[in-house]
Order: sequence, then structure tokens, then C-alpha cells
Amino acid sequence: MTADRRRAPTGRLMWGLVRYAPWRYTANIVLWASMWLLPVIPAFITREFFNRLDAEPGFNAVTLMALMIGYGLARLTVMAVGMINDILFAFRASSLLRRNMLRRLYEMPGAVAVHESPGDMISRYRDDVDHVEEALSWTVDMVGTFLLAIVAAVILLSIDPVLTILVFAPLVIVVAAAERMSGRIRRYRTAAREATGGITGMLGETFGSVQSIRVAGAEASTLAHFRRLNDGRRREMVRDRVLTATLESVFWNTVNIGVGLILILGASSMADGTLGIGDFALFVYFLDFVTDAGYFVGLFIAKFKQAGVSFDRMIDLLGGADPMRLVDRVDLHLTGDLPHLEPERVTAGDVLEEVVADGLTFSYPDTGSGVFDASFRLRRGTFTVVTGKVGSGKTTLLRSLLGLVPLQAGSITWNGEPVVQPDDFFVPPRSAYVPQVPRLFSLSLGDNLRLGRGDDNDRLNQAIRAAAFEEDLAAMPEGLDTMVGPLGVRLSGGQVQRTATARMFARNAELLVIDDLSSALDVETERTLWRRLFAEHAGATALVVSHRKPALLRADTILVMDEGRIVARGSYAELVATSPVFRQLANEVEAAES
Amino acid sequence: MIPVRAYFRLLVRYLRPMRVRTGLLGLVLLVAISLQLINPQLMRTFIDRATTGSNVGDLVPVAVAFMVIAVAHQVLAVTGTWLAEYVGWSATNELRAELTEHVLELDMGFHKAHTPGELIERIDGDVTALSNFFSAFIIQVIGNAVLLVGILVLLWRENMWVGAGLSAFTAVALFAMLGLQMVAVPWWKQVRATSAVLFGSLGEQFGGTEDIRANGASRYMILRFTEILREWMPQQVRGRVGFAMLWGTNIANYVIGSALVFWLGSLLFGNGSLTLGSVYLVWYYVSMTREPMDQIRTQMEDFQKAGAGISRVQELFDTSATLVWTGQVVLADGPLSVELDHVSFSYQDEAGVGPVLHDVSFRIEEGRVLGVLGRTGSGKTTLARLLTRLYDPQSGEVRVGGVPLPQAERHSVRSRVGMVTQDVQLFRATIRDNLTFFDAGVDDARIIEVIDTLGLTAWLATQPSGLDTLLESGGGGLSAGQGQLLALTRIFLRQPGLVIMDEASSRLDPATEGLIERAVDRLLDNRTALIIAHRLATVTRADDILIMESGRIVEYGSRAELAADPDSRLSHLLATGIEEVLA
Repeated sequence: MTADRRRAPTGRLMWGLVRYAPWRYTANIVLWASMWLLPVIPAFITREFFNRLDAEPGFNAVTLMALMIGYGLARLTVMAVGMINDILFAFRASSLLRRNMLRRLYEMPGAVAVHESPGDMISRYRDDVDHVEEALSWTVDMVGTFLLAIVAAVILLSIDPVLTILVFAPLVIVVAAAERMSGRIRRYRTAAREATGGITGMLGETFGSVQSIRVAGAEASTLAHFRRLNDGRRREMVRDRVLTATLESVFWNTVNIGVGLILILGASSMADGTLGIGDFALFVYFLDFVTDAGYFVGLFIAKFKQAGVSFDRMIDLLGGADPMRLVDRVDLHLTGDLPHLEPERVTAGDVLEEVVADGLTFSYPDTGSGVFDASFRLRRGTFTVVTGKVGSGKTTLLRSLLGLVPLQAGSITWNGEPVVQPDDFFVPPRSAYVPQVPRLFSLSLGDNLRLGRGDDNDRLNQAIRAAAFEEDLAAMPEGLDTMVGPLGVRLSGGQVQRTATARMFARNAELLVIDDLSSALDVETERTLWRRLFAEHAGATALVVSHRKPALLRADTILVMDEGRIVARGSYAELVATSPVFRQLANEVEAAES
Repeated sequence: MIPVRAYFRLLVRYLRPMRVRTGLLGLVLLVAISLQLINPQLMRTFIDRATTGSNVGDLVPVAVAFMVIAVAHQVLAVTGTWLAEYVGWSATNELRAELTEHVLELDMGFHKAHTPGELIERIDGDVTALSNFFSAFIIQVIGNAVLLVGILVLLWRENMWVGAGLSAFTAVALFAMLGLQMVAVPWWKQVRATSAVLFGSLGEQFGGTEDIRANGASRYMILRFTEILREWMPQQVRGRVGFAMLWGTNIANYVIGSALVFWLGSLLFGNGSLTLGSVYLVWYYVSMTREPMDQIRTQMEDFQKAGAGISRVQELFDTSATLVWTGQVVLADGPLSVELDHVSFSYQDEAGVGPVLHDVSFRIEEGRVLGVLGRTGSGKTTLARLLTRLYDPQSGEVRVGGVPLPQAERHSVRSRVGMVTQDVQLFRATIRDNLTFFDAGVDDARIIEVIDTLGLTAWLATQPSGLDTLLESGGGGLSAGQGQLLALTRIFLRQPGLVIMDEASSRLDPATEGLIERAVDRLLDNRTALIIAHRLATVTRADDILIMESGRIVEYGSRAELAADPDSRLSHLLATGIEEVLA
């Protein structure tokens, strides 16, 4: 979607994928080259058949029949082995691309890592990777085609050089024609892929908001919009396919006109007996294969260009990183033991004494809102509350500390040491986070809390109690093994929030960061939660967004935000006395209450 | 088993609206096939003339005719592709739309059980696999089958024994192919099912990058990804083995077919039944069957995928909603009364969780505002879902405007009952489309009026293209509060007679909440409302108060009276609760 789309280094990326599994790829070349070359054998068996038939009518064809069957068995064997080798290679290649994209996703600041709708993201992970996988498999066929062309050329030259040149001349034209059309193929394919992305995006959003659509009775208008998008995609797709078909047709016609010329030129040779019926059969047989090869070359060029489009769409997701990261060589662990996740350990330097944020600045490029020049200090065991109006930058403030958005200015120190890479630094055991709208995953409740850590159930139950979730859990017969999400039970908004809070507690982190809990929790539940936070995590250092009084009263420091800036700070009593913005926040509610 | 009948039902159903184009496609195909059959005859004529010593002048017209036919065939092929693609995409687009419509109708329980990512895979992924079935399948399988039959007929014309032998052989070969295909379809189905799990899981991760990064779970998520891949790989291999079996039958066909020609050719040429030119023609036709057989075989792979896709599509169509709208009674204009009469309800899909509502009865008179209080999980949200008829209760009756909901006409319920939920879901679309749900019939003046009432005018002015500004998917770039305000706008564009606000202001800070409270007051004027809230501030405008606990009503009465009674739960909440809210 970016205007200045860089062209992907398609060749280098393809080579990177080949190098990832070089032996499988080599085996693929050998096997598929054999698949392409083996049909030379029946060509000679057939020529032998017609020559013998011409020479001695009524001869016994059993030997030739046996040879033909033997050839069939050989080709079947090569094909079966080739198929399995190819899928094992292609699966590694496509898994590598997907895995490297995913790894890169988790290197980017969490709040700005995803720009596309989940549906469009899925289309890039699924379809674009498939396109590349397909083009890669075709490179093997190209080698086979090339070898076949050489073998066929040698055989045919030995029969009749003039005719042979007439057979191969069209191939040159074919390649030139495909090259001329390649820019257009690429353009059409891009448009078709983007139309598909729009449709998967729309479907995802539709089913994500099915309740709103239904309650609004908006099924028909939403569907009408979906139909319009579908019509748009049909136009793009038909254009793309017709162009491809036209190109194919050009190849066939070129070759067929060559065949016509051969018929004329071969006539005199056949009439004077220098070209036997067997040789003629051989010629026509090979023409077929040469036609195939010409067709393959053209199609391959097109596929290669299309793979370039798909690479472009994958590179879009890398957030400006080197495109070659897509083919980084990593162990996929497809076989053998799964890797163990090393538990994090608190080292002396990790124990929080003091975090200082100085001049944090980040604004969202599309809206210009954000946080500007925010400085604050969190000392061990203190409770800091961020408050302010909607859109005043509270969430962004938390995000810019945790590295979930990239800082445009400002710095952070931890116990006096500068934090170079906040997104990698602010993770457990140093910090843990509950976002404003937390997400859980299609895993068991226990796995959602552990997220790969080896915590035992006691520890989880402790976290669950701290998050005031124990009564909910008791109502679930399968307890911690209850599946969350589409394959299991669906939790209410408040349950999700408390589960996410328990997840944070289970991290046993030095610094607890919590975005507004009030959105899904009632007052009493929230109060219970704060009470347990202070009772069971005494001395915890916490940074929370809230505008509820129990939190504000407990706060050692309140940071009042307005239009992205910290406009006041202090204890509750101090702020009521000194800050007009804080008083206004207070008065608004006072008015609503009376 | 492949639901062959289901294939044809789909074909007929979705191709009927495009009769003319489909017919034209058939015609183009037939002509193209005849041209393909003529060319070998020309070649035989050519060989006969060449070998019997005709001069080159007799041969040129044959060669020219050969070229003309070849070119004509290609022109038809492109035309055929265009028609087939057009028909294929139109048909599958219709299928996509109908499937989407059907899925939108399904019970909320279904949507709880299936992620949007999974549904994308089933509606777009599976149907796209089918699109080949609609376009290429017709052109390739049916077209090539006709070509095959044409070749066999021409072989019969050459010699009875050749015709009979090769017909029997072709029949056996096709039968073997179909048999093997049956074996392979379940393997393909499994590959696609795991694909849905993989991309469903990735979709969740794309939505939860903040949770994952800030809680140090990225390595674990990659591990999960690896686990699914490990499950997927052997399935992919098995799927490929199924494909290899089909290609294998094609290789076997060619080899056995050639051997058959050698045998019959040497025999029949020996006893003088066939000339040398005719043996060549037979050989050429038999090798010509390689192309249609190969095409049919290639299509079999897509056919397999389509087979898996089609059963999954059928599965979706066969899932029917238990909640259906058959009522005809139109809700009256103006504010609507609400009545719950001994209503009990539990979520059928949440095993082990007890009833959410126990024998709940209450009534809201026209134009009154009811505030509902209660802890999370006490059943408040469920009340809202019953009133909007997202669910039907297991027992008891819900009446809106005096009409039991199952008897009410759907459109009037949808337009007269509005709800704002705690989840605000936005589309990657313009602000206008987000507010109107793509309904072009709502005019801008009305939208701007409501936006103004809700105090969003200043915000709209900051948007680069006003109502035409494209919003990011999931409301990126908007604060949660702004999103909530947009959701309110959506509802008030509809002029409902009953408004349900489920935590409508929960994400708003007190200042913004105060700002819109007054606007909401105006909008609630002369409407019935049920306001669910966790906070007392939200229900101050309520005439009556209902407090819920564990699915039962524990207190219900006018707010003023309850507030005056020092023993009421409301008084208790007011005493402690007001302190809970800022200021």
C-alpha cells in the first residue's frame, strides 16, 4: 500500500531459500530433471516401432511393449520419490518465510507492529508465501526444461539441422514476448492480490463485529459492501488470468506456425525417403515437448514476477528491516526435540531500584497525537497513577516506556543504566503489562497464564487469587485446563481482564504496568484487586492508568495528562489544591453525580 | 465420500443466473475441441500425400490449413478462458456472499466457537479453491472429457478393434483415477483443517502483539507456531502422496496405451486391416489422449481440494441457526416498554457454567430509564443480549413494546432497539461507512448533526478528509473513548425507541463522560432505556434501579425511593460507591 514500493530482490531471496535446504533442493533438481528427460526413451521406442513396422509388417512387438512398461515403472518411481522430496523441501521453505516474518513481528514495537487488518495479514502469511513456494518449485522444472531442450536439440540436429532450427527459433520469440509483458503481469497481479487482501480484511472485520452488525440490523448493507469488493476482485482476477492465457496462447501459436513450416519443408525429405516415418514421428513427438518447454519458460517468467509481488507484500511487514531477513537461516525444529524455553532469572541488575524516563516523545504519524516530552521517575515500592481525559495520551505514555511504540526522543534509565532497547528490556522478569483491551489466546487457561513458563499450579492459583479470578475459576469444571477462545469457553470482558491481570502477576515482575482496568471491572472487583496487589505484592512497583478514587488515593504520585503532556504531578491532596486540570476532572464527575 | 450430488447442486444453482455466458462458454469449448480433432486428420492427409509422391504444391494448402486451425484454436482458448474466469468468479462471489449472509445469521454461540480468522479461511479460502471448480473445472474436465470421447469415436471409425480396445482401456483408467481420488480427499481435508488452525492462531497473535511483547511471550508464540507446523508437515506429505497416486495413474495410462497401440498396430498392419498412415493416426490420437488425461489429472488435484472445500462449505450451510425470525408484528413508533416475564437463561455452549439468569421478571414503562447494577458475571450483559434477541431464553418471555420478541418482525426490532456494547469494533473503511455500516442511504447532514450532538465535531475537524477519512482496522489511531463515541453515533443515527447501553461509557474518562452525558440526555429524551453500568455515575439519570446478583434480581425499585431507604443496597452502594469514583 506504500506509494514507493521497492522491488524485492526476488532472485537473492529465492537463492536464500534454496540455500536453506541445499541437499533437498539438489535432490529435487536431479529427480525432476530425470522426470523431464525420461520421456526421451519412449520417443526412441516409438521410432523403433514405426521403422520396424515399415520394414517387416507383422513383427512381434512384445519386446517393445516390455520396454515401454519398464520405462513406465522407472518414471513412476522417480515421480513418487520426487513428489515427497519436493513437499519436504517446499514445506521447509514456506515455513522458513512464515517463521521469519513472525520472528520479525515480535522484534517490532508491539503497538505499531501490525498495520494491516488481521485478515490481510493472514492473506500475506498464507497466500503470498504459497505463491513463492510455487515459483520456487518451478525453478526445478526450469532446469529440467533446459536439459530437455539441449537433449532434444542434439537428437533433432542429428536428424535434420534445418528443420531443427525452425523448431527452436520460436522459443527465442516466446522468451522475448514474455519479457515484454512482465511489467503488466506484475501490475495486474499486485492489483489482484490487494483486492484479495481487502476481501479477507473485510470478512475478518465483519465476523469480528457480528454482534454490532446484527443489533444494528446492518447485515444487508454490510453484505452489499462485501459484494462490491467481490466484484472489484473479479475484475482484477479476470484481467490477470486473461493476460496469462493470452501469453500462453502466443507461445502455442509461435510453435504451431513452426510446425506448419516444418510440414512444408519436411515434405520433400519424406517424399524422397531421407526422412522416414519413424523419424517424422520422433520429430512431432519432440515438438510437443519443445512446445511444453516454451510454455514453461514463459509461465516461469510470469511466476517469478508474481513471486516478486508476493515478496514485496511480505517485505512490507518487516517494518523497514533488511529484506534478506526473510530467509535468515534458523532451525525450524520441524523434527527432533522441541526447544526448551529457558526460564528468565532475576539478576542483581534486574532488581528495580529506580526507573527514570526523561523527555519521552512519540506521536502517531497519521493523527499526530501521542506523548510529548514526558519525564517521570518510578522508585522501588511506589505506586504511580496516570490519569487524564480521553485521548490525552495515557496509554501511549505506558507504551512509550515499555517500548511498545518507538521513541522519537527521550531516554530511559534503569537503576541509572541507560536502556538502549526498551522493547527488549521491558519484559519479565523486569516488567509485565496488562493492556487496555487484553487479548487471550486459543490455549488452556493455564497455558494462557504460563505462556511457556514452567510455573506450577500453586503459583498460578496465587496469581489468580491476586487478580480476584478465583471464584470464576472455581465455576469451571476443568479448572486451569479449560480451553479459552473459539475451541473452548468464551470469557466475559471482565474475566478476560482479570485473566490478563493474573497473567501479569504470574510473571513475578519487578515493575507492574496496568492500563485502565475500569473498562471491564466494577468498582468492588477493582477495589479487591488493588487490595490484593498491595497485600500480596507488598513493595511492588506499579505504574497504572486509572481515574478511580481508590487507586488515586493510594498513589504515591499521580501524573495528570492533557494533550499528550504531563501537566501536573503530586499526591491526590496536593493536586486538588494545585492543579486546575485535575480539579476539572474531579468537578465533571461531581456534576454528573449530583 | 465426495458429495458428488452436492457438486452439481452447487453448479446448477450458481451457474443458472449466467445461462447465456455459460452456454457461450460451452459453444466455444465445443468448437475448440473439434478444431483440435481436425488437425491430426490434416496431418494424415499430409503424410499420405507426401509418401505417395504428391508435389509440394498439393501439400502447402494442407500446411496452411493446419496453421489457420491452430491459430483459431488459440483465439478460442483465450475467449474460453475469459468466459470461464468471468463465470467462475461471478459464481463463487455469489457463493461467498450467500455463505457470508448465512454465517451472519447463525447463532451467537456459533460465532463464539469460530474465530474470524477461521471463518475467513472457510469462506474465502475454501471457496477460492472452489472457484477453479467453477471455471477451470468446466473448461478442463468437461471439455477434455468431450475431447476424449471425440478421439475414441474417431478411433472406432478407423477400426472396430482399435476403438473397442482403447475405449475399454480409457474407461478403466478413468475409473481407477476416480477411485484413488476418493482415497485422497480426506487427506486433503485434514491439510486444510490444520491450515485453518495455523492461520487462526496467527490471526490471534496479530491482534495481541502488545500482550505478547510486553509479557515476554514471543518465543513461546513461535514455539506454538512450530508445534502446529510439526503437526501439519506429515499431513502435507500424505496429501502429496495422494496427488502422486493420481499422476501415477496418468503415467501408467500413457505407457499401457502405447503398448496397446504397438500390439494392435503390429497385428492389424500385419493382416492388412490398417495402412501405415492409419497406424500413425491411431498412434497420434492415442498420444493426443495424453493431453486431456493430463489436464483431467491436474484438475483432479483441484477437484480434491474442491471436494474438501465443498464438504466444508456444505457443513457451514448445514449449520442452521436455532434462533429464527418468523414474527410479523411490527413494533409501534415512539418509546417502547420492556417486560421480562419469568425469564431463565443459560449459555448452551458454555458447559458446566450454571444458568446465567434465574426466573427474572421486571418491567420498564415507555420512556423510563432503568439502571442495572451488579458485579461482573451477575447477568447484566445477558439481559441486553436477550432484549436485542441475540439469544432466546430457555423459559419465560421477553416482550418489547408489548410484543413477545419471537413474534416481532425482525427489521422493526433491529431498527427500533439499539445497543452500545463494551466492545467497539471498527472497519478499515471511511468514517461514514463505519457509522452507517456501509448504508449509502444515510445522508451526511444527519450524520453531522448526530456527531455534533455527541460533541465530536472538533474531532471530526481534525480528520484529514472529514467523513471520507479512512479508519484503520480495529480503530487504530483512535483512542478507546473516541471509538466508544463513534459507537454511540452509530446507534443514535437509527432513532431507536429502546436504547440499551452496556457499559457504554466505561472507557471514558470522567471529563469526556461528563461532556457526552448531556448529549445522551437529549438523545434519550422520549425513549425507553436500559443502562448497564459498573459505575454509579453512569446510572444517575435512571428513573428506576435494578440490582442483580448471580443471575437474580436482588433489588428493584425507583431510584429515589431506594436512595431514601437507608437499608437498601443502593444506599449502601451510594455510601461506599460514590467514593469509588473520582472526586
